[in-house]
Amino acid sequence: MAGMNRFYSKDSLENLMAFGLALFCTSILLVLLGVSPWSTFIAILEGSVLGLDSLSRVFVITSIMSLSAFALIVTFSCNMWNIGVEGQMMLGAIGAVFVARSFIGDTLLSIPFMIIAAMCFGGIFGLICGLLKTKGSVHEIFAGLGLDFVAAGLIVYLVIGPWKKEGIASTSGTDIIPEMSWFPHLFDFKFPIIPILLFGSMYLILRFIYAKTSLGLKLKSVGSNTNAFSRLGLSPDMYILFGFLIAGAVVGLAGAIQVGSIYHKLVPYISGGYGFLGILIALVSGRKLSIAIVVSAFFACLVVGGSTLQIKLGLHASLPGIIQASIVLFWLMIKASSVHIKLINAVSKSYGHS
Amino acid sequence: MAIVEFEIILAAIISMSAPLVLAVVGETISERVGIVNLSLEGSLLITAMIGFAVASITGSVLLGFIAAALLGGIIALLICFANITLYINMIAVGFTLTILLGKLSSYLGQPFVRIPGPYVPQIEVPWLKEIPIIGKAVIDQNVVVWLSIASIIIAWWFLYKTKSGLVLNAVGENPYSADARGINVKFIKYFYGTLGGAIVGMAGASFSLHSIYGWSNGHTLNYGWICLAIVIFGGWNPVRGAIGAYAFGGLQIMALKLQGVLFGLSQVLPLIPFPLMIMSLILIQYSQDKQFIPNRVRSILFGNQPEHLGDTFKRG
Repeated sequence: MAGMNRFYSKDSLENLMAFGLALFCTSILLVLLGVSPWSTFIAILEGSVLGLDSLSRVFVITSIMSLSAFALIVTFSCNMWNIGVEGQMMLGAIGAVFVARSFIGDTLLSIPFMIIAAMCFGGIFGLICGLLKTKGSVHEIFAGLGLDFVAAGLIVYLVIGPWKKEGIASTSGTDIIPEMSWFPHLFDFKFPIIPILLFGSMYLILRFIYAKTSLGLKLKSVGSNTNAFSRLGLSPDMYILFGFLIAGAVVGLAGAIQVGSIYHKLVPYISGGYGFLGILIALVSGRKLSIAIVVSAFFACLVVGGSTLQIKLGLHASLPGIIQASIVLFWLMIKASSVHIKLINAVSKSYGHS
Repeated sequence: MAIVEFEIILAAIISMSAPLVLAVVGETISERVGIVNLSLEGSLLITAMIGFAVASITGSVLLGFIAAALLGGIIALLICFANITLYINMIAVGFTLTILLGKLSSYLGQPFVRIPGPYVPQIEVPWLKEIPIIGKAVIDQNVVVWLSIASIIIAWWFLYKTKSGLVLNAVGENPYSADARGINVKFIKYFYGTLGGAIVGMAGASFSLHSIYGWSNGHTLNYGWICLAIVIFGGWNPVRGAIGAYAFGGLQIMALKLQGVLFGLSQVLPLIPFPLMIMSLILIQYSQDKQFIPNRVRSILFGNQPEHLGDTFKRG
């Protein structure tokens, strides 16, 4: 074991073992479903990273999922569940479309203003969830869930109401936004520079906040011991609100990416379930920002490569979702029952380590 | 003429709401004992699929319901095991299961998409169906509708008028006090959590074998979330919850009638319970904090959230 410690930290080894076991259990589930895990994972790999178009989509979806997971990690640090992440992403998308449809939409200023608006709209919606929790004593899970559907209703209202297509009201979405508001690609191989810059900078900012600022320390301590926090004369409510505000702003950016890089318009349920997937990613990444990026990339490969499953193996489109959710479920079970630790100990004993 | 039309509309509301009423009753029992079954959205989907699949293969609607109830119970048992034995946060497990079960229902349900299959038959009750209003609305229906109405009465009576109901409520309100009084908290949570899940399973089968015949991808989409909202709107009381479900059924009928006039109403309608849920929760808390309504009246109007709802019980 001592030899291992030179190369790996105990935590990362345990997490790796838990993830490996979860993947193994998921493979067994796939076999039970009559699917070959090997062919499935190879097809997903081929369909996701072996083409420029698909690789570009992997980058975009990794950005969206990472931002969702970051938002969850921020509120988890305050010991709060942010189920409202889908709604905050939808509000971010509304903010971005609002700018793109305005007089700025056809100018160079559009993209920076879309980003700012998405952060503001998402942040405010996150703040509402926090206010319901701190001022209205509404459990954040129910408040978040309710706000998700309020946001969905708001989009439907906008799409068939004030922002309806020229001449007709259709739930297929608003008119396409001006091309100046589309997030540009870098070079010919469709490198999605803005989504990557957005989630990369958010990663660095959040790491800085948690590692170097008193705000980060307070966000963490309000989650770990609220009573002690109050005794120090600090207001837990204020920092919970901060947490929701930051989370909403971060995931609002994912909404802007959905508009600027993928849809180029506002459509009902524009969040596409990525917010909910962000919850799974935050859980399986042990609430660590860097691991969340790796898991997001893996999940993004599953989403993008999933379409290949249909074409190559004739498998149903729901399979990537089954793989994602079962990995998380098995991971939770394995971590809680400490099977992975027992296995590490057994292996190290059999190799003669203490 | 007006009475006949009223009878028809009332019968349609009661019939259409039956699966949601069953789901609300099941989740209310589960939440009263402190278990939040957040897998509801996925549970309803997969039990609707299994109920229809088993009924189609065997030709027996009853077997379809039994299979769905068993599966619903097993899913709830898994959540109980994860939370009560492994101490995993029940929200995390429930939420993960929602996504997994929803996708599994699409995958496993492929052979049954849009095929004709059995459904719960109407039962003729010769004399009683002639009773004004009740005859048409309640009696001239099928077993699912009768079961949904019976479930409200039985659940209310059980929760508030029996000793076992008192024990169930005590565990949900304060498991530690209940434990100190010698109640087997873990067993009670396991038992009623699983029972609630089994009733939810029957609700799932009611969708595919009664109100929305057959199976298609996302057959009961959003009904699980709507059910969670209605349980809260109903203040964790099966009677108020059922009223919420019937009100939602009424809105659905209204939307069908107004679809030609008000475009988009059918899209917005499923979202209405959610702001109502938030407002209910604010009112419950506000009235509790400000004490401007006597406790007894407040409890009748809004109900009480079980004190330890969603908490993981760990014996000191």
